[in-house]
Amino acid sequence: MSEKPVKPLKIALIGNPNSGKSTVFNQLTGLRQKTGNFPGVTVDLKEGNIRLSNGEEAVIIDFPGTYSVYPTSSDEKLVAAVLANPADAFFPDVIVYVADVTNLEKHLLLLTQLLDLGMPVILALNMSDTADTMGIKVNVSKISDEFDVPVVLVSGRTGSNINKLTAEIEKLLKNPVTWKKRPIYRLNETEKQVAETVCLNLDVDNNYRALQLAHHHKWLPFLKDNERAVLATIVQTKDFQLLRSQVDETLDRYDRFTPIVQDTIQKPPLFPNTPTDRIDAILTNKWLGPIIFFAVMMLLFQAIFDWSEYPMTWIEDLFSGLNDVILTTFPTNWFTELLTDGVLAGLAGIMVFVPQIAILFLLVTILEEVGYMARVVFMFDKFMRRFGMNGRSVVALIGGSACAVPAIMSSRTIGNWKERLITILVTPFISCSARIPVYLVLIGLAVPKVKVFWFLSAQTLVFGAMYLLGVVAALASGWVMKRWFRKKETSFLAIELPVYRMPYWKNVWLTLWEKVSAFVLGAGKIILIVSIALWALSRFGPGTAIETARVEASIKADSLHLDSVHTKDYISQRELEASWAGQMGKFIEPAIRPLGYDWKIGIALLTSFAAREVFTGTLAVLYNMGSSESEINDRSDNAAKATLRDKLRREKFRDTGGPVYSLATALSLLVFYALAMQCMSTLAVVRRETGSWKWPTIQFFFMSGLAYLCAWVVYVLFS
Amino acid sequence: MMQRRYRSILDLKIKESAKALAISDSELACKLTAMGVLPGTMVELVRHSPFGSAYYVKVDGIRFALRAEEAASILLEV
Ligand SMILES: Nc1nc2c(ncn2[C@@H]2O[C@H](COP(=O)(O)OP(=O)(O)OP(=O)(O)O)[C@@H](O)[C@H]2O)c(=O)[nH]1
Repeated sequence: MSEKPVKPLKIALIGNPNSGKSTVFNQLTGLRQKTGNFPGVTVDLKEGNIRLSNGEEAVIIDFPGTYSVYPTSSDEKLVAAVLANPADAFFPDVIVYVADVTNLEKHLLLLTQLLDLGMPVILALNMSDTADTMGIKVNVSKISDEFDVPVVLVSGRTGSNINKLTAEIEKLLKNPVTWKKRPIYRLNETEKQVAETVCLNLDVDNNYRALQLAHHHKWLPFLKDNERAVLATIVQTKDFQLLRSQVDETLDRYDRFTPIVQDTIQKPPLFPNTPTDRIDAILTNKWLGPIIFFAVMMLLFQAIFDWSEYPMTWIEDLFSGLNDVILTTFPTNWFTELLTDGVLAGLAGIMVFVPQIAILFLLVTILEEVGYMARVVFMFDKFMRRFGMNGRSVVALIGGSACAVPAIMSSRTIGNWKERLITILVTPFISCSARIPVYLVLIGLAVPKVKVFWFLSAQTLVFGAMYLLGVVAALASGWVMKRWFRKKETSFLAIELPVYRMPYWKNVWLTLWEKVSAFVLGAGKIILIVSIALWALSRFGPGTAIETARVEASIKADSLHLDSVHTKDYISQRELEASWAGQMGKFIEPAIRPLGYDWKIGIALLTSFAAREVFTGTLAVLYNMGSSESEINDRSDNAAKATLRDKLRREKFRDTGGPVYSLATALSLLVFYALAMQCMSTLAVVRRETGSWKWPTIQFFFMSGLAYLCAWVVYVLFS
Repeated sequence: MMQRRYRSILDLKIKESAKALAISDSELACKLTAMGVLPGTMVELVRHSPFGSAYYVKVDGIRFALRAEEAASILLEV
């Protein structure tokens, strides 16, 4: 083991939920952070870099908020599993334990557990600014003496003492100290016997860590089968009562540190009626609460549309400008085509979403930062439980309206596996921002621009209905799955409702930056690859099929006496039909004809299964490549300039000659896109979060099957 | 159960508080004690949730939302 590669030093930020960990993390790292993937690890944790004074780089890892090493959610399990296993890729060299100094008597349990695990810890007493305004006095050196750890009083908000914290981190990284006042908790007789037996059998050198292995032997992922068996035997032969021992230990720890806190912190008496109490009297009121929640949601979606309109037009204009520049400056050949129809079309498809995603994440982040989301969890727990979920699922579902990928990751706070699984499976039903452009094109096509009420247009109503459809599908599927999955397991609500705070803008901007760049880089990559592949598939065909089609088409065009523009369009239409993409579309046409779709929509559907954003892009590519026959018969000079929407409107079925985009087809397509699972990034995340391909596969067939069925019903009803 | 009678948060009126004595279910006890709901602290019922079945409580100045089963597991002094 002497030839270990040099690993970067790892600093872990650990603390209770709402201790301000992420804020301290942002102070320490600024923009130098990302949601990282350590090799061989299956979870994402936020990580950032800091440079030490000797020039060395160290990695800071922001762990999820945790109350104790006895976990009740998969977030907390992650922390317990890392701490129990010194070989873990995330196992830290130094821990910065962040505690809210205004509530220190509730924030020290986990600290004492970390100390007993023998970890090198620095205690960061956070929120010193609030402590000052509240008139709280802290005896820092006494706390440091009592626990025998370095202590720094910091504020994540004002940045006060953050450099002192960095200095302490460096000091501890350089000279690991041997602690005197350990352990804090003295194991009882049974615990001692269990721990010592585990130490002997499994080569562990810390009694408390050995005890952890015994407590968590059923689920710790890194244990080998024989180790698990040994631990089970030890637990059984020593008659070790796991839960009982965990509760007793917890209470004993409180008994030890509560006097220390009382000795070292002076607090003025609590006011009975704080601003938070007054705000909650309204926001969580039995009747007003839900009404306000729905009003907030309406405002949220209104804002997405109102605020994103201009930036979206700018981005579209920018890309069409770029397109023109490339077309005029480069020679006409396949490479230029690849640039414009492949790469640029793909990039544009990604970038137009950015405004909407950014606005949604911005507003959701603010709601979270202020402390409102915890109230939503409280209000809707009962409601969500009817549908097999948990109050915490609301946070995932709201997030799902921006993008399912981060939303699914936020389900990690749900402790109960069944509720979490249902949340993961139904979140993609919520209409995400990638569906918006598809809806816009199809609704513009199918629904007339008339006012229904004095302020609402029919188009807006259908739009709202699409969102509602997503919510109903999510809840209904949850209701079905609740009955379908039989597994019983304790489920928790128990959540802390933090005090309301003004949003801290640095946190908001950093979260926003992180989410948006994750979207652009993650989903963006797939969209770009798909649009390039699509371009290639529609540009090339089997054997000489494309050449043959071209020759035949030009003869036919001659015989019809078409002008040059229409000849070109007609030829490219025939070429498209002969291409690989055309073949694929034709191949699946029989399967999608019952839903009212032709082969071109078929191609769009096929490509959409990687990422549904591709739909409008695909249609744009397809209809640019092949103008339809009906257009040629029009012989209008403007035909070449027709927009995508107009082109779609003129599209006819080859066999019946009826318009392809009738009301029925458009509605059926809308329903299909609302319900089908068409996002590889989401499937990949579901796989990671559930640990196997089983659930993403089920999800894929369930959602797409439902989409097919509902689309068919809609088509039959309206045609 | 012993002779002693207990109440729970479910029996409290809004704004009423009582001292917690113990937590009956050990899995819930593990969770609640870790969050700071401890025997010996005062528990106040602040309000009921909109759709029922959840309780907004204050323990030592800290606010928590609890489900009915969780609230019921906290045994309060009569
Ligand atoms: N006044 C004040 N507020 C702070 C300070 N640090 C964090 N906050 C606020 O406390 C709230 C919670 O902060 P986060 O950094 O999200 O807390 P966290 O511990 O990462 O929470 P989890 O993500 O749930 O683990 C936010 O509203 C922060 O703005 C501080 O030093 N002073």
